[in-house]
Amino acid sequence: MNRIVHERRLLNIWIVRASVAVCLLCFGIGVTIFLWHGGQAPASPSGSLLHILKLAVQAGAGWHASAFLNAGLVILLLTPMVRLVAGVYVSLRMRDWLYAVIGLIVIALVLIGLLAGQSGG
Amino acid sequence: MTPLFTVLLVLCGGLAGGLIGSLTGLGGGMIIVPLLTLVFHMPVPEAVGVSLFGVIATSTGAAPRFVGTGLNNVRVALFLQVAASTGALVGALLAHHLSAQFLFVLFGVVLGYSAIMSFLPKHAETAGVVQDSPLSHRLRLASRYQQSGEWVEYHVTAVLPGFAGMLGAGLLSALLGIGSGAFKVLALDRLMRLPFRVSTATSNFMIGVTAATSAGYYLSNGDVAPALAAAVVIGVLVGAYIGGHLVKVLPVKFLRRLFGGVLLLVALQMLFKGVINL
Repeated sequence: MNRIVHERRLLNIWIVRASVAVCLLCFGIGVTIFLWHGGQAPASPSGSLLHILKLAVQAGAGWHASAFLNAGLVILLLTPMVRLVAGVYVSLRMRDWLYAVIGLIVIALVLIGLLAGQSGG
Repeated sequence: MTPLFTVLLVLCGGLAGGLIGSLTGLGGGMIIVPLLTLVFHMPVPEAVGVSLFGVIATSTGAAPRFVGTGLNNVRVALFLQVAASTGALVGALLAHHLSAQFLFVLFGVVLGYSAIMSFLPKHAETAGVVQDSPLSHRLRLASRYQQSGEWVEYHVTAVLPGFAGMLGAGLLSALLGIGSGAFKVLALDRLMRLPFRVSTATSNFMIGVTAATSAGYYLSNGDVAPALAAAVVIGVLVGAYIGGHLVKVLPVKFLRRLFGGVLLLVALQMLFKGVINL
């Protein structure tokens, strides 16, 4: 049991450090391109996360600031979600069914937020 | 004001938010939202959307400090997160239907409360002075943490009042673009009687998930300006990093009171802006 708890802590530290590093890299590149082009503000993205990521990949080919800025936003938004998923995974490994279900309910609430935003509330 | 100048100013605002947050414990969102609404005249939902990404960054950036310590009570966090995320979801859905004036007044009241709280002494440890409530026992919320090489056992009570408190904290977070850390710690520490260090670590995890619940709504609804959000996130993370080093050499108690006073003035300005437009 202690080994699983230790694994959970390492997994959490790894997730947050990697996320902050990648997110800062994306935002750093995005803001640099934004400044380089004289401050042409990219439009606010909308729709599903997949749609926003798809637009980011398309814009990335032309080295547009929006590609990196939108990718950074999605990565940052997903970080708490990934920590939750890791928590559910560990609960399942520990056969702690109650907290696995509670974790899944929280994940569902975050997903409902995303879906409600797409449909404009 | 050009977009370039706006982004650079918001970057400085994020830096100040991160710095003040790490030095005084006052949340960065308390600085970002007034900056965007009062100085840049940004609509409240858009300012809130941008600020929520700063809140996620603050929580994520501080996480490694808490994760390895074993202070975070995962069961308490997950159970109460159901309430906080529900509140955040309701708040995000309501935000576009409430008038800007009402949100200004609400922000002024919450900011004023947090500013006044910054003048009061921090609560001491309360470990081991309560018994588990029956619900806490069923949910196995009691736990322990290590302090100076020794294990400190603690119990959890008032689970339902804490749950209700988290519902309110989630609602305020989504409506105002703040982490609501002060309210979360209040529920965990004063109501559920968790040791202060445990409630701080547990609340840090919850702040990020709560902000993500409503930030997802704001992002997919098209309320988040990416360049401004990036400027806030970079500013907040760099500011928190610098603050983490300065905290050892600066008179933190004095700074906490000084910025508490500044926030009180900002709160009055938010209230004034809300009331004169009613």
